[in-house]
Amino acid sequence: MVALFSSTIDQLHNGLNGAGLRQQTTANNIANVDTPNYKARKANFEHTLDAAKQQFDSRRTDGRHFDFGGAGDRGAYTSIDRTRSYHHNGNGVDMDKEMAAMANNQIYHSALIDRMDGQFSSLKTALGGQ
Amino acid sequence: MFDGMNSTASALTAQRLRMDTAAGNMANASATRGRMVDGEWEPYRRKMVTMAPQDNRASFASHLQDAERESAGGVQVTGIVEDQTPFQSMHQPGHPDADEDGNVQLPNVDPLKEMVDVMGATRSYEANVTVFDAHKSMKMSAMEIGRG
Repeated sequence: MVALFSSTIDQLHNGLNGAGLRQQTTANNIANVDTPNYKARKANFEHTLDAAKQQFDSRRTDGRHFDFGGAGDRGAYTSIDRTRSYHHNGNGVDMDKEMAAMANNQIYHSALIDRMDGQFSSLKTALGGQ
Repeated sequence: MFDGMNSTASALTAQRLRMDTAAGNMANASATRGRMVDGEWEPYRRKMVTMAPQDNRASFASHLQDAERESAGGVQVTGIVEDQTPFQSMHQPGHPDADEDGNVQLPNVDPLKEMVDVMGATRSYEANVTVFDAHKSMKMSAMEIGRG
């Protein structure tokens, strides 16, 4: 991102993306609560935040080289928990867990938005706008 | 961005169809003339909704493709199947559909089963409405970034 924005905004951006993915995954799990043999999915994205924290840039001399480390390049992903079954039809969605995850995610998301807002208002102040 | 909402919407549709099916079963709980088979009336057969995840494809390539574009998922109704359990039989000689022995074949609908299904569908519908609300408020708050 442009040097005008601090890396904090980048990290918040990653976090928001992750929260969005988690919300989507939870929505999917709850949508499939009555689907036989469906297994719950989980969004993993905190590692991208970690990666953003410890920036470790590699020197690439060719476009085909892989970038090891690097801020958030690995992206968020979802994993499937195939071991659990909560219903007789092989469904692995724990409704209470999903609802709790969603509430958690909502708070996390609004905290990130709050911070993002803070960042932009600081920037506005610095730029002399009121 | 609106994928989560779409998958929730698919679940709402599916649960409503489940509710409609249960309602149809209840309404036809004593319908002795469901379908004409070889010139004879057959009672109504209980119907059930089958569901599957929307990204239920087997191949590795399709999974890779899904992972790349973070596909929406959601749920889809794969069909409405008929319950093949035997019909109930009741001795009712005066009934127009009674056989020579005075027995009437009645639908294989069990109101208790339907009630359980209705409860399940209601709860799932409510859960999905909650998810939809959460999603909406998250999106709306994201719209507020930089306004303050």
